[in-house]
Amino acid sequence: MAKDSRSKETQNKFDMARRNFLRGIGVGAAVSMAQPAWGGQTFGDAFDDFFQKHYKKMTADEMQETLLRIERKAKIRYDADISCSNTPPQENVVFGYAINISRCQGYRDCVQACVEENNLGRDSQVQYIRVLQMDQGDSNLEHSDHYYDPEEVPVAGKYYLPVQCMQCDDPPCVKACPVEATWMEPDGIVVVDYDWCIGCRYCMTACPYWARHFNWTEPEIPTDEINPDTHYLGNRPRPRGVVEKCHFCIQRTRKGRQPACMEACPTGARIFGNLLDPDSEIRYVLENKQVFRLKEDLGTEPKFWYFSD
Amino acid sequence: MAILRFILDGLREMFRGSRNYWLWLMVLTVVVAYGATRYAQQVMNGLVVTGMSDQVSWGFYIANFAFLVGIAAAAVLLVIPAYIFHRKDIKEVVLVGEGMAVAAVTMAILFVVVDLGRPDRLWHMIPFIGRFNWPMSLLAWDVLVLSGYLVLNLAIPFYLLYYRYRGKEANFRLYFPFVVLAMFWAISIHTVTAFLFSANPARPFWHTSLLGPRFIASAFASGPALIIITLQVIHKVTQYNVSKSVIDTLALIMAIAMQINLFFVGAELFTDFYNEGAHAASIHYLFLGLDGFNSLQPWIWFALTLNVIAVVILMINPLRTNTLYLNIACVLAFVGIWIEKGMGLVVPGFVPTPLGEIFEYVPTSVELSVAAGIWAFGILIFTLLAKAVIAIERGELRYPEKVSPYSL
Amino acid sequence: MSAHRSKTLVVAARRVHGIACVVCLSFSPLLAEESPTAADTVRFEGYPNAPTVNVVPRKDELFFYPCDQCHESMEPNPEIRELDTMHDSEIEHGRGRLWCLSCHDFENRNYLRTFLNELVDLDEAHVVCGGCHANRHKDWAYGVHGKRVADWQGDRTQYNCTHCHNAHSPAISPRAPKEPPPVRAGLKLERGKNHDAHSDNGTEQK
Repeated sequence: MAKDSRSKETQNKFDMARRNFLRGIGVGAAVSMAQPAWGGQTFGDAFDDFFQKHYKKMTADEMQETLLRIERKAKIRYDADISCSNTPPQENVVFGYAINISRCQGYRDCVQACVEENNLGRDSQVQYIRVLQMDQGDSNLEHSDHYYDPEEVPVAGKYYLPVQCMQCDDPPCVKACPVEATWMEPDGIVVVDYDWCIGCRYCMTACPYWARHFNWTEPEIPTDEINPDTHYLGNRPRPRGVVEKCHFCIQRTRKGRQPACMEACPTGARIFGNLLDPDSEIRYVLENKQVFRLKEDLGTEPKFWYFSD
Repeated sequence: MAILRFILDGLREMFRGSRNYWLWLMVLTVVVAYGATRYAQQVMNGLVVTGMSDQVSWGFYIANFAFLVGIAAAAVLLVIPAYIFHRKDIKEVVLVGEGMAVAAVTMAILFVVVDLGRPDRLWHMIPFIGRFNWPMSLLAWDVLVLSGYLVLNLAIPFYLLYYRYRGKEANFRLYFPFVVLAMFWAISIHTVTAFLFSANPARPFWHTSLLGPRFIASAFASGPALIIITLQVIHKVTQYNVSKSVIDTLALIMAIAMQINLFFVGAELFTDFYNEGAHAASIHYLFLGLDGFNSLQPWIWFALTLNVIAVVILMINPLRTNTLYLNIACVLAFVGIWIEKGMGLVVPGFVPTPLGEIFEYVPTSVELSVAAGIWAFGILIFTLLAKAVIAIERGELRYPEKVSPYSL
Repeated sequence: MSAHRSKTLVVAARRVHGIACVVCLSFSPLLAEESPTAADTVRFEGYPNAPTVNVVPRKDELFFYPCDQCHESMEPNPEIRELDTMHDSEIEHGRGRLWCLSCHDFENRNYLRTFLNELVDLDEAHVVCGGCHANRHKDWAYGVHGKRVADWQGDRTQYNCTHCHNAHSPAISPRAPKEPPPVRAGLKLERGKNHDAHSDNGTEQK
């Protein structure tokens, strides 16, 4: 480069001008980052969204940023003030669930409670729980009726089998995911990082229990019905184009509260607790009742049992 | 640099030609553009514009993907005779076959991309930058082998054509190992794709060890069908000479592969229907309908009929060597296998659902348009590649060795 | 006051609940003797290993409690007979093997009774139920029958049997289910030929 023939004074003036210019761009960039653009989101948020790391790779600070960003997004999308947390699993807890099919009357109260608790899209047709009406004496799922709608339940000669994610101990969905967007947490819940999922739906193919569901459209939730207590891996508002499923109400159960389905069930057919606690109800069921699991022969080791008494 | 000149000359060759050539390119481009606009619609509104559902969560896109991986793998049917059995006549057309492999793999990859719910998150798959679940996830394997196959089928012909372009002899010891690699790799791409389906005990229709062999057999039937027709078109519209012996060999391979394929279909039907249990529900749905639902039934019987007619033609020597009958058989086999291996494979895997529900699937106009756009794009890629390959193979495209101020 | 007169008052009270009982009481000469207290009631100790359970109180939910309000002024009659009273007297429990005094204490109507004539507080009604329904009672004691409220973790709080089961008619009545599941937006549900379009009342053939 040719030596600059300018005087020192002139050079300083140029330096100042350049510095001011860059500063101006910086300020302008910062200001524009903060302007709502991108579907209501600021450019900064949209940028951070795109480059958001996998759940397991985020530092604590990055996670905090992400949680706040999710709260901001919910405000824009649903005009709702939510809080998003990342409650860690409890030590020495592995969750297990059992349903007493002699008690289930087929009300579907659990289905509805789940929809409300977990901010499921009211029109995207995702329901984590599906109750099957089965013929007495017949355990063939192909003879089940998913769309039963009689005047009253239970219908004579039928029994009811609610099905949701089995939180398998050897989950085929976890193996299938090409980007590790789904994995099993230490407390046994198989979770999905909704901001990492690419929507290939291979996990849905792999699941033997039809427990995984896809957001074909943007989930629609009325503002006044949004549940504001959310968890990053649980019921925080999810975007379009990703897979989701029952997560044992992670936002509740990690704080000791019952999952919404269990709380809603009027007959007490649902039993939930810590498999590692020998005094828990779930352990009592496993040790004293004739339990069975669906599709036992597939070796998925569900943590969801059924029994009758 | 010579390589730069090679690329530029190649590109120039691709975009020069007769009026008919340009008309062909224009038609393809229009279809591609239409497909692109419908895809934009899909990106705007989400996959809800397709006919897929939680019940049938893979459909027309993945059906085409599975079929096209087979076509891509079938390029190896030219590579093996050319390099292992030293068939000079086939060696002359092997690079055209590899061009077809490139087009087919590109189409396959595109079909997966348009099926994604979040294509903006594709970078999540990049190893180290994202999280690549290899070796556990079969889909991760598929991404790996398809990308590798694409690279191999671009690199090897690039090398060979460059040396041809320079009028020099390529280093056999250097490229032959890669050719061998490509042979095994071709089998692997289709086996991995088969494993993608067969690894799921949740889907009894696919959960059979026979799926891998079925995929290879049907690939080796549908691939040559396409190659035979394409080579004849090339023979007709270009100055490129394709020996009849090439066609005869491919037709023979196709005949054997079709017979094996139909034997496999028969084996599946017997095994599932002799003592019919719940695991046979999907095949029952496909061939006989289930609980009043039978939208795929006419399609599969049609496909089976086409395949049977094709194999009969191919098994009769005088018919197989007759150009007209051979072409009929090729078209029938191609369409028949496209139906059987596409929608006839993917959709019944989801019917009934693991919870016993029967929910049918019909592709929407968005899916059909995007698919047409991708096929047109693949054919366009192949056309351009073949144009350049033929010019170099025929010696029309050569690097001007002496660069003098007076050269043109 | 003659028995006849107290009966008339009860009949009158039947027409006007609550306040009438208080009025009646103030006229009643049948003052209660020393009423039993909580210390006199029995708690079931049959499952020493069962975890501690807090039972959701039931008495606040009982409209007619305390029963003494009326029964103090009524001569207890042990004769097994058909009754027509202002509260549940139709017993759809036990298929003819039970009547009121099978479970309600004869002398102290604020309490229930066990087979051993021990007093049972109405907030611990499960003790009485368990007398016949022993297996169910054990399940309940260990938390696998009935309903746990509040959290899955920590102190257990469960409902009493009578929270869900009306002791005089314990069978759970059928009720309407919530809506069937929807299908994906833009797609239609097609029912197969083995299923009714809307309702399934169990009458179709397979």
